[in-house]
Amino acid sequence: MTDKITDPVALWQKMVGEMEKGFNSFATKAMETPEFSQAMNRAGGAAAGAQKQFGDLMEKYLLSLNLPSREQMTGIAERLQSIEGQLGEIRSMLNQMSEASGGSPVDAAPRPPRTKRPPSESGGSK
Amino acid sequence: MNAPTGVDLAAIPERIQAEVQRAIQRSIKGVEYFSTSGPTLGSTPKDVLHSRGTMSLYHYRPMTDEIYRVPVLVVMATTNRGYILDLVPGQSFIEFLLKRGYDVYMLDWSAPRPEEKRLRMEDYVLDFIPDCVRRVQADSGEQDISLIGYCFGGVLSLLYGSIFPEGPMKNLICFTTPIDFREMKLFSNFSDRRYFDVDRLVDSVGNVPPEMILSSFEMLRPASRTVSQIQLWENIWNDEYVKSYRMFDRWATDTLPLAGEYFRTITKDLMWDNKLYNDTMSVGGRTAKLENIKVPILHAVAEHDHIVPYDAAKHLIAKIGSADKEEVMLKGGHVSLVAGANAVKRLWPKLDSWLGARST
Repeated sequence: MTDKITDPVALWQKMVGEMEKGFNSFATKAMETPEFSQAMNRAGGAAAGAQKQFGDLMEKYLLSLNLPSREQMTGIAERLQSIEGQLGEIRSMLNQMSEASGGSPVDAAPRPPRTKRPPSESGGSK
Repeated sequence: MNAPTGVDLAAIPERIQAEVQRAIQRSIKGVEYFSTSGPTLGSTPKDVLHSRGTMSLYHYRPMTDEIYRVPVLVVMATTNRGYILDLVPGQSFIEFLLKRGYDVYMLDWSAPRPEEKRLRMEDYVLDFIPDCVRRVQADSGEQDISLIGYCFGGVLSLLYGSIFPEGPMKNLICFTTPIDFREMKLFSNFSDRRYFDVDRLVDSVGNVPPEMILSSFEMLRPASRTVSQIQLWENIWNDEYVKSYRMFDRWATDTLPLAGEYFRTITKDLMWDNKLYNDTMSVGGRTAKLENIKVPILHAVAEHDHIVPYDAAKHLIAKIGSADKEEVMLKGGHVSLVAGANAVKRLWPKLDSWLGARST
């Protein structure tokens, strides 16, 4: 068996680890400067503006192809969400009605009792 | 026989043979890697209790014959998916809690849709969390609830607890939760108010794109992604390593967009004015001072957290008004604190002993 000092694979791994630490440390120092913040935000602002313009252009292109616009798709999604919400509310009401009449919730397995004590009190783990 | 330099010559053929075998395995497993998907994550059985836009409330099915009286509501960070706390059986924090007899709910987030760009901090703190708390009360039949907040989920839980000191909240657990945003030095510099025009960004893009959030995280350790890929290649013969890599890589890159108005408030109130730390924070006109929180609190921080450095989190316990409060620092990083092999050994048992005693 080889030791870590003479094992070329271990040496390589160590070198990669040291390079990672060194580069991260160097980059962190550079990124803490106001100059970095200024440059990054200038580039980021331009990219965000370009992304917005591209999005608007894409929407017009889709419309020209007689495809549904994002607004229409969002509208459908909203309606679906509303239907989901109403189904949830109906299920919740059914559960309440079932519980009020002495039954268990319509779609739930029986719940275990809330009687558990911590192991320190009950003298051991359960 | 040993050479004068200390090199064990007898071991060299054995080492070469092992490396050749690994090289062959790398080729085979490398093909497998690209032709298969990773392990299924977040598979602990659960029911969707409620869903509204970006918000989902799950109830996990109990796994024990009896459970603690007080249910637990986990509040996930808004930047990432909740399955980091429910990776795979044996490495799932949620499964651990269930097996220890807790009744577990999770407030998780999905990507806000374009029309949700107007969601404000008020929606998260004064609407989503109280709504989920009410639903947990109704579902469990219990008035008391323990909250567990991870990262920014911890910040939201702190804001909720500060504004609603009467709760319902019996216990509060925060994982790696920042309150002094000046000490998040790189994020602070990225969002320097002299150069970062948050209004222009939000007004132009609506929701802040996930690529931007992911880039910000990756820039904290710019070499680490490349190095992790080199390490993956070296270890691709090792199924356990690959499984773990795929789980964490998938989660880390599955970043969520942030609702525009919400991001604007985070930037202005927290990053720029550090209002939570300065006791000047308010949400929807309601004061949120940490000293208002009087319930038992446990704050778990990671020794090597590069996302939320200890300096950004260390004042939380001192500023909380509770008499029963504890900070625990554990080895690990921002993610390995709560998920993975280290968490199984360190954080989870600590949390269980602390919370179990306060859940009856």
